[in-house]
Amino acid sequence: VEEAENRETQDQDGYWLEDDSRPLKEIPLPMQGKRAVRDRRQMKIQIISSWESWKKSHLKSLKRFQLEAADVLSRMEVWKSSLHKIEGKFGTGIQSYFNFLRFLVMLNFAMFLLTAAVLVIPNIVFMTVDLQGWTLLNTTGMMENPDSKSGNCSLYNPTQEGLVSFYTYIMDLLSGTGFLELSYLFYGYYKDTDVGLTTAFSYNIPLAYLLTSLFYLLVSLIWLVRRSVQGFKLNLVSSDEALTNYSNKVFAGWDFCIIQEKATQLKHNSIHYELQMDLEEEAIREKIAEWTTRQKFCIYSLRLLLNLLVIGLLGASFFCIYIATQYSQILLNQDSVASSNFFLSLLVQYLPSIVITAANFTMPILFNIIIGIEKYSRTTEIKLTLLRSVFLRLASLGMLLFSLWTEITCAGDMDESDCSGCHYNYRRYPCWETRIGQEMYKLIIFDFITIVVVMLLVDFPRKILVQHCSCKPVQLWGQQEFLVPQNVLDIVYGQTICWIGTFYSPLLPLLNTVKYFIIFYLKKLTLFVNCRPANRTFRASSSNFFFLVVLLMGLILSCVPVLYSIMVITPSKGCGPFRTQQKIWDILPNSIEGLPRVTREFLFFIGSQAFAVPLFVLSCILLFYVVSLAGAYGQRVNLLKAQLQREEQDKHFLVKQIAEMGRANQKNNNNRVSFFSSLMKTVDKP
Amino acid sequence: ICRLHGRYHELAPNIVPMDYTNEPDVKLPIQLIINMPELKENPFKQRIVEAFSEDSQGNLSFNDFVDMFSVLSETAPRELKAIYAFKIYDFNTDNYICKSDLEKTLTKLTREELTPEEVTLVCEKVIEEADLDGDGKLAFADFENMISRAPDFLRYTLVRY
Repeated sequence: VEEAENRETQDQDGYWLEDDSRPLKEIPLPMQGKRAVRDRRQMKIQIISSWESWKKSHLKSLKRFQLEAADVLSRMEVWKSSLHKIEGKFGTGIQSYFNFLRFLVMLNFAMFLLTAAVLVIPNIVFMTVDLQGWTLLNTTGMMENPDSKSGNCSLYNPTQEGLVSFYTYIMDLLSGTGFLELSYLFYGYYKDTDVGLTTAFSYNIPLAYLLTSLFYLLVSLIWLVRRSVQGFKLNLVSSDEALTNYSNKVFAGWDFCIIQEKATQLKHNSIHYELQMDLEEEAIREKIAEWTTRQKFCIYSLRLLLNLLVIGLLGASFFCIYIATQYSQILLNQDSVASSNFFLSLLVQYLPSIVITAANFTMPILFNIIIGIEKYSRTTEIKLTLLRSVFLRLASLGMLLFSLWTEITCAGDMDESDCSGCHYNYRRYPCWETRIGQEMYKLIIFDFITIVVVMLLVDFPRKILVQHCSCKPVQLWGQQEFLVPQNVLDIVYGQTICWIGTFYSPLLPLLNTVKYFIIFYLKKLTLFVNCRPANRTFRASSSNFFFLVVLLMGLILSCVPVLYSIMVITPSKGCGPFRTQQKIWDILPNSIEGLPRVTREFLFFIGSQAFAVPLFVLSCILLFYVVSLAGAYGQRVNLLKAQLQREEQDKHFLVKQIAEMGRANQKNNNNRVSFFSSLMKTVDKP
Repeated sequence: ICRLHGRYHELAPNIVPMDYTNEPDVKLPIQLIINMPELKENPFKQRIVEAFSEDSQGNLSFNDFVDMFSVLSETAPRELKAIYAFKIYDFNTDNYICKSDLEKTLTKLTREELTPEEVTLVCEKVIEEADLDGDGKLAFADFENMISRAPDFLRYTLVRY
């Protein structure tokens, strides 16, 4: 607290506040001081032009408007009180998971609104309302070559004949076949036509479908990148973690948000645990540095072996996924399975999902065991395990898609008997896009069922067991810990499936929104009822960046199959909006043909090499410039730090010099005094 | 602000007037403030209240009360929070965070569960990391520089009422 005289005119660093134009909010004075500053500022008669004063008042009102708008927006935030409660009881680390889940619900809902508005609702309107003014035109597309063998390609009839049993309805709901197959849910239902709304304007369904899907992916990308830039900046600033580890924990370690007594005890414990872990890790690091060459050799060869083991395990699980997918696809096409036992057919339908989920459950356990043997430091352990889990999840999805691709395109071999006619396997997949959409739909449903079942059958009984059985091993096992990384990987996996599947099934974002909405409440329930807070807390800032990076990886992974099927694979001839085209992408050049000449030329120019190559070179130059600028700033920071230290040393040196000179002066004075006094004495002596 | 005044009034209904037009000089003693639910569990509650009180004894007038909550709110800028955090951690109020201040901070953080050697070790490490000018204690400049690299500082110094 400042002394009274200094309070009014100086702050801690000695800045004179009268000339300072910092906003009042930032001045570190108590209220009296701020009021005095404000009065003094208002009293100062400034000669400014009327333009300046108008600009100033305008800026002030703009700022006030911005503040009010931000206030209103924050009040409209969904689930704000729930997040606040979680923060108070479990800290900001776990709250960041729920924040992330809320962001995904918003994202999915916005995407659903986009696809619904542009694609689904117009189609529903066109189908149900049959106005005279609207004419259904046929698109221009490559007409079928009538004497090719492809007459069979457009055979597609998924509706079922005869009496349909009740079981079949449930089966259809769970696997997207039957009455769901020929509905707005899947690609196959959309028509291949232009709808002429007025004489000048027509709604081109295929074009709308393609553009919506691409736009959807683009918007997700932009939104994600915007959100992760902030986290990236923070990460860059605190990048040298080793240098600020302890001070960070001591000064920024206490979470002022926590207000419950039990939670504070846990926070104390966690800080204590973290500091102890750090000290232990320091000791381990020193021990590692002292390893002999022989020990190093042993450990490195062990690590190499274990890494090969991990790769082997991953390869084995991918192979299982491949086999399971192929097997289920073969079995699905045999009628014997369809009419047999309900559970058996359900099992066959869900076989790929079951295998993927089983792999995602068992592999992390094995990874945990393996990493224990590898003897890394704790932070490296955590990072490596996380990396392996992320890779497993995303790559298993990729593997499923790859095995589907080999089925659909006969492994790329167009001369095989099944594929030669239509360039895709028309016998098994009369409408392959719908089939992929169905697989994604099944994955999402199975993922949701898994989460619910795990919660019911593992978390709740565990808690009941721990509460009522007081034997030692059960108490040691303890209540479930809310593991943030695993839960985040679960929802990123679900979101990736949604991104992949939206092209083939436009209503998937709606399904995902509902799914994540329910999961939010379920996870909140399980958190409050079953879980105890972890011993190691997950740091909120680094975790935000980690979530977004993994989500970005999922988005990039999901772009690959969608773009591949748009550009390379022949669309099904029997269904969907692109049935008359050679490639799905062809609709774009065809539509551009219809545009006025100038626009057409401009668009062609942008797509040509004459534009792309200079753009690429320019981007590279810009990149190099920015990177070198960052390096220069880093060097400058180091120089300034060294200069600061030198100045302090100079200060010490000067202080010492002054003290010595003062002492020397004192001695001189004493000498002079004694000289004069002795002179006086000799003068006095007569 | 009305909500804050409501909370301030709740702490001592007999002393705190509802009407401030006469600018009465009312201060609440530190004991009442420390027992507020938002601050009760905070190990630094004593230092927080002392840092915001005019007479550094911990007695807060309503102005000081509002100051405290405004600095600990979401909208306060980082520099302001850093200035007051420095005051909070400076136990002996000499405008430097010296080794004894650090030791007291650490004890309060871990509720005396660390052994004395560990405490000394951690304090040495903190000074080693944060002290730029090499005088063995942290001036405000060192503290601010270190806080600017702590990503969770803003999120953690938050008290909601």
